[in-house]
Formats: sequence, C-alpha cells, structure tokens
Amino acid sequence: MADMTAKPNRGYRRWTPFWFLAPAVATLLLIGIYPTLFALITSFRRYNIARPREGFDFIGFDNYASVLTDSTFWASLGTTARFYVSVLPIQVMLGLAIALLLHKTGMGFLKALARVTLVVPLATTYAVVGLIGRLIFNRDFGVANQILNAIGVGGFDWLGSPRGAFTAIAIMDIWQWTPFCALIFLAGLSMVPGEIEEAARLETTSKWALLRYVQLPYLLPGLTALLILRSADVLKLFDMVFVMTRGGPGAATDLVSIYIQRVGFRIFDLGTASAQAILLLVLTILISRLYIRILYREVQ
Amino acid sequence: MKRFLNVFTSVLALAAATASLPSAALADWLEDAAKPLKGTEISGIFLDRPGYRAIIKLLPEFEKKTGIKVNYEIVPYENTREKQVLNFTSQGGQTLALVDLVWIGEFAENGWIEPISNFSKDTKITDPNLKLDGFFPLLLDAFGSWGGTTYGLPFDNYSGLLFYNSCMLKDAGFTKPPATWDELMTVYAPKLTDASKKQYAYALQSLRGETQSADSFMRFLWPFGGSLLNKEFKSNLLSKESQTGLKFRQDLMKYMPPGIVSYDHAEAVNALAQGQVAMITEWSAFYGTLVDPATSKIGDCLAVAPEPAGPAGRLPALGGFSLAVASQATEEQKKASWLFIQWATSEDIAKPYVDAGGVSGRMSVYENPEVKAKYKFVEPMVASWKAGVPEFRPRFPSWPAISEVVAEWGSKMMLGEVTIDGGAKEIGTRMEDILAKGGYYDGKKKLLQ
Repeated sequence: MADMTAKPNRGYRRWTPFWFLAPAVATLLLIGIYPTLFALITSFRRYNIARPREGFDFIGFDNYASVLTDSTFWASLGTTARFYVSVLPIQVMLGLAIALLLHKTGMGFLKALARVTLVVPLATTYAVVGLIGRLIFNRDFGVANQILNAIGVGGFDWLGSPRGAFTAIAIMDIWQWTPFCALIFLAGLSMVPGEIEEAARLETTSKWALLRYVQLPYLLPGLTALLILRSADVLKLFDMVFVMTRGGPGAATDLVSIYIQRVGFRIFDLGTASAQAILLLVLTILISRLYIRILYREVQ
Repeated sequence: MKRFLNVFTSVLALAAATASLPSAALADWLEDAAKPLKGTEISGIFLDRPGYRAIIKLLPEFEKKTGIKVNYEIVPYENTREKQVLNFTSQGGQTLALVDLVWIGEFAENGWIEPISNFSKDTKITDPNLKLDGFFPLLLDAFGSWGGTTYGLPFDNYSGLLFYNSCMLKDAGFTKPPATWDELMTVYAPKLTDASKKQYAYALQSLRGETQSADSFMRFLWPFGGSLLNKEFKSNLLSKESQTGLKFRQDLMKYMPPGIVSYDHAEAVNALAQGQVAMITEWSAFYGTLVDPATSKIGDCLAVAPEPAGPAGRLPALGGFSLAVASQATEEQKKASWLFIQWATSEDIAKPYVDAGGVSGRMSVYENPEVKAKYKFVEPMVASWKAGVPEFRPRFPSWPAISEVVAEWGSKMMLGEVTIDGGAKEIGTRMEDILAKGGYYDGKKKLLQ
C-alpha cells in the first residue's frame, strides 16, 4: 500500500503540467490556429498579392458572395462530392474485407507481412502516387491497358477522356486509402473481447450475424473517425490529381482543392481563396458533426 | 631563320588577332567591373530545360572571372511564377527575375523588376559591347520590354517549329514538309494517318494548363487572322477568323492520336521520337531531346521546318524568358546581377551557350556557318523570329487568370463538351469580366498587351 503520508515530489509544482503542455499548445497555435485565423481575416479583405496597388482593404462579405455565386466553384464542389461518393464505399467495403481476412486465426507470418504491406501505399507521397498513376494509365505503355489487352477487352483512353480520367484518379485514391480503412477496421476488430466472439461463434455459424451483432459495434467508432478523416482529406486532395490530370480533361477532375489552388496561387486572389477554404472548413465540420450524430456509438 | 620568322610572324598575328577578339575584351571589362563586387552572392530560379543546363555548364567561368557567386534553384515551370511572386511580395532573397514573356507586364507594373536603363547608364558596370540591337528585335520587344521600356534581356528563347519525320513523309510520297495548315490537313494528314496501326499525322500538345491555352488554343488563332482580343480589348473569339482557326483545330483532331487533351510537351515529343506521329509543332528547345539517341528513335529522319502558314501568313508560336534585375536586391546584388545578365546573354558567350544546348537571342551567332550546319533548327527558327506577333499571348497581368479560363473551355471544346462558338462565348464573357476587374474598361489602365 502506498505511503499516504509521504511528501509530494519536490520537483513537482503547480505549473509543472503547464510547462509540459506548453510546447504542444504553442506549436498548435502556430501551425494550426494562426493560419486559420489569418485565412479568416483574409477572407474579408481584398487580398490579391499580384496586384498590390489595389490595396488590401476590408470588403465585408464580398469574397463570400463572389464564391457563392461562382458557378465554377459549385461545379468543382459537385465533382468533389461525386468523387467522394464513388471512392468511399469501395474503400470501406474493401478495407473491411481485408480486415476480416487478417482477423482470421492462423497464417501468422503472412498476416504480419500483409499488415506491413498495407502501410506502403499510405507512406507514399501524394505526388508520387500521381506520377505512378500517369504511368499506369498511359494509353500506349501503361500497365492498365496492357492488362485490358491481355484479357481481350482492348485498351482504353484513360487520361484523355473525362470518364477515364475520373476513374483513374478514383482508382489511385482507392489504392492509396483502402489500406488505411483496413488498418482502422483491424484495430476495431481486435477490440472485440475474445470470449464474446467465441461465445457468438458457438451460437451461430452465420458470419453476417457475427459481424452485424458482435463486431460492428466495435467498428463504429473507427468508421466514424474514418469518415471524418476521409471527408476532410477528399476536400483537400490536390497533389495526386494535379500531377495526373491538372483538373482536366475539360473540368472532369477539377476537384474543389484544385480550383482553390488555382484561385490562390495562379491568380493570387488570396481573399477569394481564403473565403473558399473557410467555407470548406465549415462544410467539413458540419459533415463531421453529422457522422458523429448518426454513426458514433460507445460500446456498452 | 626564314622559317623561324614565318612562325614568329604567325604567332604575333595570332596573338594580335586574339587580343582583338570580343571575348578578351569581355574578360577585361567584366573582371574590372566585378572587382568591387567580389564575394557578392546573387540568386535566381532556373528551369530544368536545355537553356538552363547550358548556362549552368558555363557558370564556373563567370564565377572565376568575377568572384560573384550565382545561386540557383531549379523549379518546374508550373511553379515558377508562384515562387517568384511570393518571393517578391515577401521581400525574399531573389536578385534575378526569370521573366516568361507573359509575366513581363505583371512584373514590370508591380515594380518587381528594374528597367535596364538604371544600370546601362553606368559605364563602369556595362559591357561596352552590350549591343541591344544585336538581339532579334522581336525577342527583345516581346520577352524583355513593357510599355516601351526594356526590363530584361532575352535569355531562353523559343519559337514554335514544325518537327517532322522525313522518312515517314517520304514513304507517303512527300519530299518536303507542308507549307500551310490547309495543306497539312487536306494533303498530308490523310496519307500519314492509319489508326489501325496507331500511326497519326500530327500531335498537338493540349493538356489543360498553359499547354492548352498557349500551345494549343492560341496556335490556331493568329495564322487564321484571328486573335483573343480586339483593339478595344473585347473578346475577338467570335470573329469569323478566330472561329475558322478554332474549327480547323477541331477538324484536325481526327488525324491526331486519341486522348490528345492529355498530351503535354513530353508526350507530343515522345510521340514523334518513337515514330507514332509524323509531325508535331513544338518549341525549338526540344530539338536536343529529339536528336538524343537516349530519348529518341527518330535519328536522321528528324527534320525541322517553320510552322505552317495560315490564311493570315506564317505566325508561329512565340515563347521564351528574359532575365531581369529584381528591385528587392541590394545595390551590390543589383550590380552583380546586371553583370551576370549581360554575360549570360552576350554575343561572346552565344556560341558556347548554343554548343552547350542553349538557344541564344543574339542574331550574330546564327550567321556562323558552323552553327547553321550543325543545328537543323537554326534556319527555320531564325525565319520564324523575323516575323511574329509579340502579343502571341497577351503579356498583361491578367493573362494568368485568362489562361485558366482558356485552358478549361479550350479543353472542353476539343472534347466536344461545348460547341466551338459556345466555348468561345463562354471564354469571352469570363475574359471580359477579368479584364473589367483589372481596370481595362474604365480607363484606369492602358490597353497594353
């Protein structure tokens, strides 16, 4: 039993926790809060750094009004939404399937190897994923068309057609982020108490029932986090798409992040670009709240 | 004795001749001018292109002569303007500005670069052989000048050229390249296209971005008598001539490889290099890539000609970069940067620069028979530079925003997502909106392009 009469550690003071936390808080303020506040303030100003003579006056909600009436912004947001609903269900399904396979007993070495392999796409830089994508989907010497030719389907003009380009960036995103889903689900499955799972297996041979009534409750917190992270990530997905298609052909892959980058760093209208970014931040928060309300359940 | 005298006289004559060579003179004035600037560091941005690799090869000579250290960062073209604008607006360390011809208006109007007259009036730091009239007038005007003031000297210079596979043309019964666009499409293209063998007559790089707006869209306006803007800076894209040019581009697509809207420069050059297409219109700077056996299979079949003419004449694509002194540099850095710019663009360095893979803007070097004989691109390029449109792409500050609009709707036209006149109307409306915001319609700004 601990000696309750012992004197407190002499090195521990009232402010000690503060000093431990201070570096993390300061860093967060510097790299998280300050840029966000700066973007918020900029979104209310005329702020085109390529036209310094026009000045940087406060113009109220003009930037927001111009964003909300900009048909290109809405079109790119629509393309982003289409991309999101195209890739996410596939990533969740495939991720869950991989996690369930890895959760099975036996084949320890292969499973360990598979877990390590899952990290590779995640560790690959977005721009590199884009470069790999350009090679894979090259019309003349890409692997994708070689496979299609080998099975007799015939080559396809991936990056030169709107539908092909959209499919190509979706495939690359699925390749990169399915392992993340698998790892999250695997972590959730490992939280299921062994005795409960064992008991359930004795009760039923239905894998669906096992998943639905025993494993799923443990997967929901991870799924919620996954959906929130992927929502934010798709809204800011830039490098891979820019390298593969630059938003084209036409506007087929013009995701909202590509459009914001163009407004911010080609036209240098940082006021409008900041307003767009703030609106996306609000959208991300709303989507996150929605996911938490609908999906998140603590396991009782 | 007589033999000794002969040799002695020859040596003396050679020494005298060498002493009178401009390079010796260059060395003298440059070394003298650089003495007070020894140890100064200057910095700028270079691209990963032959002209920059060439000057990097020659740099040790400059640094040895002057004691000035040249720092450079190699940046992809697409990020170059962004990086420079951020540097200039944050008063960064860049002392040299690399100015694409379409940035000159923006850089000059914002005061980010200095007129060369600020330095050239100081004889201590100016090459006695500077000879501005030794540059191709079109290049000095288009790349280095804005509103009648010269800011930069032409450094990395391009003209659009017709690169073609003479063996493929010969097999199809042609002994010379097409002289006009009409001839290319109606006479040459049908005989050079066989889609079943994946052989196509022509490839036009049309990837969304500056490639679509500058290389693809604008290329079919000027030769057909069209233009982006009229004299009042209103859209001219619905004019009969502009529509004819854009329609021609659309019709020509049936002789191009499928998916041409995903072709950047690399893909177009590669298509010719690998024998997939018979002709491309590309920048002169890609000559090196096409003659290099490591990157091209075309070999001796490569031939070069000026771009085909349209109903309005031969008005090929024009592009390139000048070097200018950045206003934010210190006085020493400005002087040192000015010395570097003069050296890098001088007549004396022009031959070694060309031999190292660069394309000089000096006229004299292309009169050299050795250069003419060695580089097939010289004659057509010089011919192209003798006539051309400085505002092939408008050089005003609003171009980057307009370029984005053209890139999006130009691609949509090619894909058939909009009609030619529908796309032209859309570009026109958006372009005029950008120009209105830029102050071009309320008299705030001169109508310079």
